[in-house]
Amino acid sequence: MNNLPVERRRWLKVRIALLGLLLLGYAGRVLLRAYSVQVAEAPVIREHVQRLQTRNVRLSPKRGTIYDRHGAELAVSVDVDTVTANPRELRAAGRDPAATAQQLASVIRGLNVETVTARLASDRAFAFIERHVTPQQGAAVERLAIPGVRLEQEARRFYPNRELAAHVLGFANVDGEGIEGIELFMEDSLRGPEREFEAVRDRRGRVVYSDHLLDSTTQRGQDITLTIDKTIQHIAERELALAVQTFEARAGHVVVMDPNTGEILALANYPTYDPNSPGRFDISSRRNRAVTDRFEPGSTVKPFTIAGALAAGTIRANQTFDCGDGSMVVDEENTIRDSHHYTTLTPAQIIAFSSNIGTARIAATMGRSGLYRAMRRFGFGEQTGLPLPGETGGVLRHYRRWYEMDAATISFGQGMSVTSVQLATAMGVIANGGRLMRPTLVRRVVDADGAMVQDNLPQVRRQVIPTATARLVADMMTAVTGPGGTGIEAAIDGYLVAGKTGTAQKADYVTGGYARDQWLASFVGFVPAESPRLVISVVIDEPLIAHAGGIVAGPVFRRVGEAALRHLGVPPNGGGQALAEHSARLRQARREARIAAREAARAEREGRGNPGASEDGSDDSDVDGEEGVVAARNAYAGTPQPIPAVARREPREGETLVPDVRGMSARAALITLHRVGLMPRFEGSGVAVAQEPAPGAFGAVGAPVRVVLQRPRFDVDEAIDPDESGTVASAARVAAPATGAAP
Amino acid sequence: MSLRNISLRPSAPDAAAPTTSQAPAVAPATGRFPKVTGTADVILAATIIALVFFGVVMVYSASASLAARTFEDGYHYLVRQSIYAVVGLGLMVVLARIDYHRYQASYVTYPILMAAFALLVVVALGGGRTVGGAARWIDLKVVRVQPAEIAKLAIIFYLSYSLSKKRDQLRDFKIGFLPHILVAGVFMLLCLKQPDFGSAVMIGLLTVVLLFTAGTRINYILGAAAIALPMVYLLITGSEYRMRRIEAFVNPFQDRAGVGYQIAESLISFAQGGFWGVGIGDSRQKHAFLPEAHTDFISAIVGEELGLVGVSILLCAFVLVVYRGLRAALHAADDYGTYLATGVTLFVGLQAFTNLSVALGLLPTKGLTLPFVSYGGSSLLVNCAAVGLLLNVSRPRDVSAVLARTEAESTRRANKNDKVDRGEADSAPPKRSRWGAKPSVAASTEETRAHGARANGKGGRARPSTAPARRSRGSSV
Repeated sequence: MNNLPVERRRWLKVRIALLGLLLLGYAGRVLLRAYSVQVAEAPVIREHVQRLQTRNVRLSPKRGTIYDRHGAELAVSVDVDTVTANPRELRAAGRDPAATAQQLASVIRGLNVETVTARLASDRAFAFIERHVTPQQGAAVERLAIPGVRLEQEARRFYPNRELAAHVLGFANVDGEGIEGIELFMEDSLRGPEREFEAVRDRRGRVVYSDHLLDSTTQRGQDITLTIDKTIQHIAERELALAVQTFEARAGHVVVMDPNTGEILALANYPTYDPNSPGRFDISSRRNRAVTDRFEPGSTVKPFTIAGALAAGTIRANQTFDCGDGSMVVDEENTIRDSHHYTTLTPAQIIAFSSNIGTARIAATMGRSGLYRAMRRFGFGEQTGLPLPGETGGVLRHYRRWYEMDAATISFGQGMSVTSVQLATAMGVIANGGRLMRPTLVRRVVDADGAMVQDNLPQVRRQVIPTATARLVADMMTAVTGPGGTGIEAAIDGYLVAGKTGTAQKADYVTGGYARDQWLASFVGFVPAESPRLVISVVIDEPLIAHAGGIVAGPVFRRVGEAALRHLGVPPNGGGQALAEHSARLRQARREARIAAREAARAEREGRGNPGASEDGSDDSDVDGEEGVVAARNAYAGTPQPIPAVARREPREGETLVPDVRGMSARAALITLHRVGLMPRFEGSGVAVAQEPAPGAFGAVGAPVRVVLQRPRFDVDEAIDPDESGTVASAARVAAPATGAAP
Repeated sequence: MSLRNISLRPSAPDAAAPTTSQAPAVAPATGRFPKVTGTADVILAATIIALVFFGVVMVYSASASLAARTFEDGYHYLVRQSIYAVVGLGLMVVLARIDYHRYQASYVTYPILMAAFALLVVVALGGGRTVGGAARWIDLKVVRVQPAEIAKLAIIFYLSYSLSKKRDQLRDFKIGFLPHILVAGVFMLLCLKQPDFGSAVMIGLLTVVLLFTAGTRINYILGAAAIALPMVYLLITGSEYRMRRIEAFVNPFQDRAGVGYQIAESLISFAQGGFWGVGIGDSRQKHAFLPEAHTDFISAIVGEELGLVGVSILLCAFVLVVYRGLRAALHAADDYGTYLATGVTLFVGLQAFTNLSVALGLLPTKGLTLPFVSYGGSSLLVNCAAVGLLLNVSRPRDVSAVLARTEAESTRRANKNDKVDRGEADSAPPKRSRWGAKPSVAASTEETRAHGARANGKGGRARPSTAPARRSRGSSV
């Protein structure tokens, strides 16, 4: 500026200085503002941000995974898109709910337009449009870019193996809440601690940042490792389904357990369902019958009676028992019968031939309380404590409330009821040297950080019988699968199998006794008998084609045992050459037995149409003689009325089967008879003690039935709890067998 | 110096030889320009280099997450900004070595002005590339040019040239004020057409401040402001998006999800930083919340990561730039240099402070970058070029020659005025071609009234010393 006149130069300097001051002032203002924003008002702004940017988020942790014992995933949670809407925002954007619903329906198939329209029209800030959509649908919704409609991530429970172990796992609903099975019972662990905390969200409301997100335990529930072995479970389910279908049974369950630890390796039920879409299946197929259903076990409890007596020292192993040539009169009105006629049998033979009379005689040596205690000690009458909802403990009444016959019948599995799991656990006692293990289904629970929350080590509940006794009984039980035994179908090549068959008639509510055509076939045993690795309990409910436990349930035991032993790597021929030869003999015997059984079954089927044929038409060695026992079920001192040999035929037109009303009150008898179209004629008062025509006979519809009523008489000793005998009728029904079908 | 004055001097006694206006221009530069006696302002250069490096670092910090998301390469912006930085600093050094007097010529100034005008027209007619709702860019493949930036530099060139040329007629409304305001007005209108309200305001401010510095009557400036402000008000209220920006500025948190978003997030960033900052690279806002964190709102990331300390240092750096710039203006060899330096300083300083003001919510959103620090080749190159000019102006020069030359010029003008006073004014046609007429008309009207007495007085004093200067010039022709 030296080219300017001095005075102008001075003014120019002044103006530039002024400009400099202005700019400095501007900078100062900016600095002041920076101070106020960053220091002075920063807490206010941060708090404001806290309010706007963060929201209290209820973060439900991702549901824990359920693994099998080897770490295979049985139930996992996966993130899927859920379409949600903010109806207010939609309205603010001026969108028509109906049109929007149509638009959404065009990309989400099966969307209910009316429901969605109603939801979108509501004055709420949140509405579900469709939960758990496919990624394609989610992308399509995002492309629509409807204001207020957004995608959110939700965890969906997924069962990669579909039906496998469905009843054990149960399932979780759309909100991730356990509804059945382990999912329900272990809900708290799987769900994890639901915490509310502040999280930073971005403009779309997605959680972007939170210190809590770094803590993995808030993100994931605890993982559960089951004792279930996926392979064995699969085998058990496959073989069970095959057996149920082959024998046209109603249902069935299989429990596979490691007797040394009490760990349940497989728990299979049929019918089954897919927990990925439980709504598509009938509620009865979702029931975990192995723990919720109690049934009369029949002969399978005989080894426990004998083991109990041996342990109590009331019998010796080499003692012989008078089997009364097939019938034993308990008292003047009750008789026990065997399907085959034996004179004297040793305990081993009693097990092998499944003699009711022999077992009853052994039980008699212990007395009522001895039998009751033995059964209780084996774990009957109480829940096993599996972590599954709805477990029943079965019914084993106190011996002081037993009826006359119970002392005898309970010894061979009638008048008490058990579950499959109880049966397997009790069999584990004999397999495991007399120790009762607590059955476990959950091996361990681990939190998201990998820390052990719960570690279920094998737990011995008690020594039920001495180890030597257990070995002795196990030895006796190997005869069941030996040549001539009832359970030869359960024998496994190369392994010694100890077990017991059971063929129980199911209780019939209509006739009040046992149903003639409804059987419950079972086989419970362990293998290898000399050092057991597996206890397998197989129960087939109401098989139609055959009914003997050895025929129906035995093969399931064999196939499951064979595959499971191979899977576990248990070497065959643990007994060396001798065992191999034994197995060879066994195979031969089994072939013959199978042919015989087939012929017997055919004979039985043919015999059904023949009115004159007696119940002895079957030469199945395992029939427990329930029919003989039925007569004994009458607890009242009325006329002893053993069921007459009734024709086995279908009722003709205009005919009806006369139900058994004995033991019923007049009112119950009236209802029962009316239901089948018969007219009761009552004589006397009290409880029905006799009827004519006899139960099981055919009567013309509308025909009169004479029913004799009598006031019941009680022994002073057998004081029945008042609450259990509110009415005489109910007292009478307590005597009736517990049923296999739970209400 | 004014070439035109020389060429239009028909009655000069020693002007027989040069008959064309080009003649003096081909004269050797060394003889025409004041001799450079020292180096450029080292402190200013160092500050700029520091700012550019700081910018590279901050751009990397602010953009790494975005770059990793969009380009799957966290270094995407870092690499580019580094290249721009090298090119920009190179440009600065080159321009610092070119004598600024070379631009003090009509054949340099007007082509620049016309080029800027043409670019603005191209963009205004929709030939540009639209970014963020405003067509402000021209894509030249290698680098995207923002015509508004070039227009600002062109205005500085033009005003410096014109104001120094008309140094004695500045108080004349028609000569010293109106043409400048008209040129600036056209540029502002073209900027508004883009729409680029910020650049329009910036051009207006540059013009007004340079006019004020040069010594225009304050009344004219106040009058212009009185006319302009209602128009600005109408412009703002008439444009919905500008209204929204104003609303967002008034209450950024009210509509945080909408317009106020950027400013609210920026304020949050500053607030998160506090006094010491969260540490470089640890900004949380840059990850998802603050859009354009590496360009217009990089100061917010500085505020968050380096806190009030960092912002203060950044601010001080720009204050230092402004101080050294104005110092260069004060010590410039001649008034052209002073105006140039003032304009460039204002250009850089205003932009920096305004950018920080926007980020801090002091002013409505403008779309201005933070010079040297924000990501972007166009901005960095233009700013570096501007500072290159400034650095050249800052070089000390041999002032005596300038003095002599200017005083000779003044003498000439005084003589001419004397002639006009003596009666030649009557013969001068009132309607001449615009450029030709100006000096004489100005001299006869404003200059005589305002400066006349003073000029004459000075001229009288200066007269004895004019002879050698004139002689030297004469010899060079």
